[in-house]
Amino acid sequence: MALFQISEPGETAPTEPQEKQLAAGIDLGTTNSLVATVDNEGVAETLPDEQGESLLPSVVRYLENGQTEVGTAAKNSQLNDIDNTISSAKRLLGRGIGDIKTLAGSLPYKFSDSDSSVLHIQTVGGEVTAIEVSAEILKTLKNRAEDALDGPLKGVVITVPAYFDDAQRQATKDAARLADLNVFRLLNEPTAAAVAYGLDQKDTLEERIIAVYDLGGGTFDISILKLNKGVFEVMATGGDSALGGDDFDHAIATWILQESGSDLTHHAMSEARRVKEALTNDDQVSVNLENWQGTLSLAQFNEMVASLVKKTLLACRRALRDADLSKEQVHDVVMVGGSTRMPIIREKVGEFFDKPPLVDIDPDKVVAIGAALQADVLAGNKPDEEMLLLDVIPLSLGLETYGGLVEKVIARNTTIPITRAQEFTTFKDNQTAMTVHVLQGERETVEENRSLAKFALKAIPPMVAGAARIKVTFQVDADGLLNVEAEEETTGVKSNVDVKPSYGLRDTEIEGMIRDSMDNAQADMEARRLREQRVEADRTLEALDSAMKSDSDKMLNNDEIKLLLEARTELKNIKDNSEDSAEVKAAIKHMEKVAEFYVARRMNDNVKTAMQGQSVSDFADTDN
Amino acid sequence: MLDFKQSYFKLFGLPETFEIDFAKLGFAFRELQAKYHPDRFINADDKERLVAVQTTGLINEANETLKSSRLRARYLLKLVGVDFDDEIDTTSDGAFLMHQMEIREALEEVGSAQDPLARIDDLAQEISGEADALKDDFVDQMEAGNLDAAKEAVLKMKFFERLCQESRQITEKLEDDLF
Repeated sequence: MALFQISEPGETAPTEPQEKQLAAGIDLGTTNSLVATVDNEGVAETLPDEQGESLLPSVVRYLENGQTEVGTAAKNSQLNDIDNTISSAKRLLGRGIGDIKTLAGSLPYKFSDSDSSVLHIQTVGGEVTAIEVSAEILKTLKNRAEDALDGPLKGVVITVPAYFDDAQRQATKDAARLADLNVFRLLNEPTAAAVAYGLDQKDTLEERIIAVYDLGGGTFDISILKLNKGVFEVMATGGDSALGGDDFDHAIATWILQESGSDLTHHAMSEARRVKEALTNDDQVSVNLENWQGTLSLAQFNEMVASLVKKTLLACRRALRDADLSKEQVHDVVMVGGSTRMPIIREKVGEFFDKPPLVDIDPDKVVAIGAALQADVLAGNKPDEEMLLLDVIPLSLGLETYGGLVEKVIARNTTIPITRAQEFTTFKDNQTAMTVHVLQGERETVEENRSLAKFALKAIPPMVAGAARIKVTFQVDADGLLNVEAEEETTGVKSNVDVKPSYGLRDTEIEGMIRDSMDNAQADMEARRLREQRVEADRTLEALDSAMKSDSDKMLNNDEIKLLLEARTELKNIKDNSEDSAEVKAAIKHMEKVAEFYVARRMNDNVKTAMQGQSVSDFADTDN
Repeated sequence: MLDFKQSYFKLFGLPETFEIDFAKLGFAFRELQAKYHPDRFINADDKERLVAVQTTGLINEANETLKSSRLRARYLLKLVGVDFDDEIDTTSDGAFLMHQMEIREALEEVGSAQDPLARIDDLAQEISGEADALKDDFVDQMEAGNLDAAKEAVLKMKFFERLCQESRQITEKLEDDLF
């Protein structure tokens, strides 16, 4: 991401009192969302609802009459109406059915079996997609801003995680369009946080390294940014999509249940949350659950969560390694997310980077505030301040070539917008069509990257192999969205596509792929890969075992059972003995291939049930 | 509107030489971005916005090209009519390829050295020294008008780019193991 301010000499227009253009910054979060705007004094502030609450829980409930409840009301009814109350829709944005299998355990919704590549969730109000759910949240924030500002918004800046790929960014923009919002820009969350602190305003002659530590309710992200001569570059991102403030609550709740002997899990959780927040200011807090009373000290709490904190610091270390930087090279550490209020977090992060982290701005609001500052500039409210924010592309873009390999056309961290063309040719005589398969990611093979789009260039005139000149042009706009055009140059036959995600083309699991692809760019991750593959192998073995246990008698004959058991033994041997992740992976692939017929058989059987509204976790079990 | 036909060097007001003033490039780059970036055309119509995207796309492409010594060298050759794709085209210098294999083998054997970290540091230094020599060679050949030899130097640069990457990855792995 890049940012710079330039004032053109002589062009600093005499500031006529101009009508202020209404603009806002929106932080569309997994757990909570916010809207912020810059007031007449140039100060950015988040806008509260009628109850004075700035945070809008990112929860939407669909009612029978087609109406919706958004925010706190929806959150409160979540327990009673779990099927129709959608939270964490952000995790589903830009995702297809193939992507969400690993999330299955945490998602209670009923997914529909549909022809569309986009996920549909069944509710009493009808089928909805994550895009529509997000649009409801955006609409609520839009109304809040327009009421407060007393007029229609000219445009907004919406923040997205730095590692969001093309499909996720596109889905975010689609949600904004549904909410009837004009999007000036999508902005990376860590960059927005850095802007909120005015880090771009500091002496830009020297390179600044900024670490953004973002611990939210259910996710942890670490981003390393480089501000170099005005260009904000995302050097590395990392984190854990299943680690957040909730885990800290959980640690306390477990303690409460143990100490009290109670089994009121839900009450313990809400008490835990209260205790955690109280421990931000006090060294000791009394804890109550029904008739039981106890005391929890800050020291005790810190000990309870030490391993969680350590996990985040390991991710920081890994991200620095990916960025090829040492801790000492980091100039600023920006804290984002409500969970960074915990004193233990601030202390340990400060120790790790050996400098006090920036905490002056409310960590829940800092991203929205940065977005608002950028929206204000884009709306043209600051003619004197020619701030310009340049972004880089977070993941490489490429094309499929022979043998299932990917040829990179635009490398990650290239400043955008960018237009780049690559020439290809036909490899058979009289070949009249060519498939253009666009992929995103850092890995070498097609399966390991994200498939963005596939389209055909037809009506190539018959020529000998290698004579046609096919120019494929990638154009990435300022938001990181891609358009691809293919042209046969000798005849001018053209084909072009606005890249919309193509989902479900394969059944490999993609959860974590984005981060993995970055991590794995470095060879030093082999050990981790091996671990992952072993876990994956265990998962495959378990899935096979449980499937065979449940229905091998009905679905398989003796020969088939023998075949599967042989493959099972082989995979188990390799998993236990091999030190090579690729080998384990190949063994998993082999196992999956052998079991393909069985999976298909079970899938057929299961689709019928899925269509009757089975939950996705059952669905995923079949396929794992 | 920006002149799309002029060379990347002219675009940034730089002379068409291998050695360039990076500060000047950075300054000119930001100046052009400030003028043509799509963020400056938030309220313009679709066509103008598309032109802005294409224009900044070209500016970014030009900047990426000039920032990299290998791409800059290749582009200089293109300007004098020697255009090639170094994904396909490759050097046929047998002695050079043999030497590449030697370095590669040395990299693979780092792990069994007595002090692997010291060994990889030495190798990395050797690699970057040879890469620098290639740049000098390119400049000399261009000055002498030996375009084929200059192209040969660019093709070889690609090999050293990979070696640099590899030696870096090995260093990181070694450091990781120490932790």
